[in-house]
Amino acid sequence: MTIAQALLIALFGWMGSIYSPVLIGGLAGWYTIGRPLVSGMIIGLILGDVQTGIIMGAAIQMLYIGLVTPGGTMPADVNFAAYIGIPLAMVAGAGKEYALALAVPLSSLGVLAVYGLCAINLYFVHKQDALVESGNLEAASRIPVVGQITNFVLRFIPIFVINFFGAGLITDLVNAMPSQVTDILQIFANMLPLVGFMLLMRMICKKDFDLVYFCVGFVLVASLNLGMIPIVIFALGIAYLEYKSGTSVSTTKECE
Amino acid sequence: MAEEKLEEFGGAKKLSKKAIKRAYWNWMFFNLSVQNFERMEGPAIIKMLADVREDLYPGDPKAQQEMLERHEVFFNTEPYLGCIVPGIVLGMEASKAEGNEDITSEFINSIKTALMGPFAGIGDSLLPGTLIPILLSVALGLCPNGEIIGPIFYIVAFLAIMLPLTWFLFSYGVKAGANAAQAVLESGVKDKVTRAAETVGLVVVGAVTASYTKFNIGLTYTSGDLSINIGDILNTIMPELSVLLMAFLTYWLMVKKNWSAGKTMLLFLVIAVMGYFATILTV
Repeated sequence: MTIAQALLIALFGWMGSIYSPVLIGGLAGWYTIGRPLVSGMIIGLILGDVQTGIIMGAAIQMLYIGLVTPGGTMPADVNFAAYIGIPLAMVAGAGKEYALALAVPLSSLGVLAVYGLCAINLYFVHKQDALVESGNLEAASRIPVVGQITNFVLRFIPIFVINFFGAGLITDLVNAMPSQVTDILQIFANMLPLVGFMLLMRMICKKDFDLVYFCVGFVLVASLNLGMIPIVIFALGIAYLEYKSGTSVSTTKECE
Repeated sequence: MAEEKLEEFGGAKKLSKKAIKRAYWNWMFFNLSVQNFERMEGPAIIKMLADVREDLYPGDPKAQQEMLERHEVFFNTEPYLGCIVPGIVLGMEASKAEGNEDITSEFINSIKTALMGPFAGIGDSLLPGTLIPILLSVALGLCPNGEIIGPIFYIVAFLAIMLPLTWFLFSYGVKAGANAAQAVLESGVKDKVTRAAETVGLVVVGAVTASYTKFNIGLTYTSGDLSINIGDILNTIMPELSVLLMAFLTYWLMVKKNWSAGKTMLLFLVIAVMGYFATILTV
């Protein structure tokens, strides 16, 4: 990885982190380029292999597809997982199973960065109070701009450093792996999306009976090999029938 | 009755559209910029109001300062669908600035505090909990071999939904003030829309599970000349039956038994290692 590539990846990593304001806050940032699927495309563009980037991004995306950060808590940080895990696996010429294997510990590292930031930024909160008390309202309004420095440092630097200096190490490690390890990792990686999907099911599957819908979608692909757009249209049809029949409200009430 | 209340606790009447737009972009960009343990999104509310302070209290620094001082408190909600709350805050502040005496400092803060929780809940369950995973699932379904259409679809669809929707919620909050919350929280529309989205989500997640998860059984039963591959037999009953059974097992563990993601991953790793060495599973 060249220094320019590592710097670019770190820049996008910062812009796609949860507390970065630059891309309409989380709208085009955290919830767009911060989604591993999109991160994979960007990293692929930077490293010159978009297809591999997207494949790896998709793999990490599935693991974290049901990720919600309620009340400022961060169960797993997808930012480091994607912006460090994907480039390192790509540079090492490894499969998506290595990107996944890197993603899990990296997401824990990212959680540390999140909580570290929330502690450091207390300084800016009190600074803003002081500025308002002293009537310096213009400076008080600039605090969310100035205070972004914490997030920039905690995102840009780790992503750049680990990518730039870690690439060689990971490449050696992947090359030294016996083929059994790679096979086992792949079997493991093939099952892993289920974890992400079931985290999501916790939120959207309100009754066991709702698994019928899940099975319908499953069969449409497994047996009929339908594409995504026809399936969505089919699903919209079911949702509309359910909406019209009026069962929709009673089922939601039941779960609450 | 709604009409009466609109008079009492209503939102901005004279605030220019330009000022509302500036406040909207301000909130969208900076809501989490200095996230912290003590006030969470509080500093972003102060920034939003500070940047329209001349529109609210032209040439009155004393009143501007008072306004900002009452927002030196904790504030936290889901920033995007919950942007109706800062909108309502701005609406109430504008109404107060326009001389509405029913709106006191305590009233603004009590409404703000009362709304942030419900909208955090609604926002989290609808945005990262429903809309985003559904759009992502569709996007994933479009790029099983790394096609660029997948991420592009997600970017376009997400922003095309969210930018108009957040602007609508925010500006509605500004104009209707405290009444906006009532209208949103009490209508049954939210439940129905959520339910419809969940149904679509369930079908789509089932589809993506089938296209992305693999669980290949390589076990072969050999007796003399007879050789039977167990995986092939399962597939004649139904394609990818082994994956579906694994999905049910994971559902049972994670949804019914509340296993954590980490614990489930550990189990998968054990299954992978044992299955590989027992030659039950193949790549």
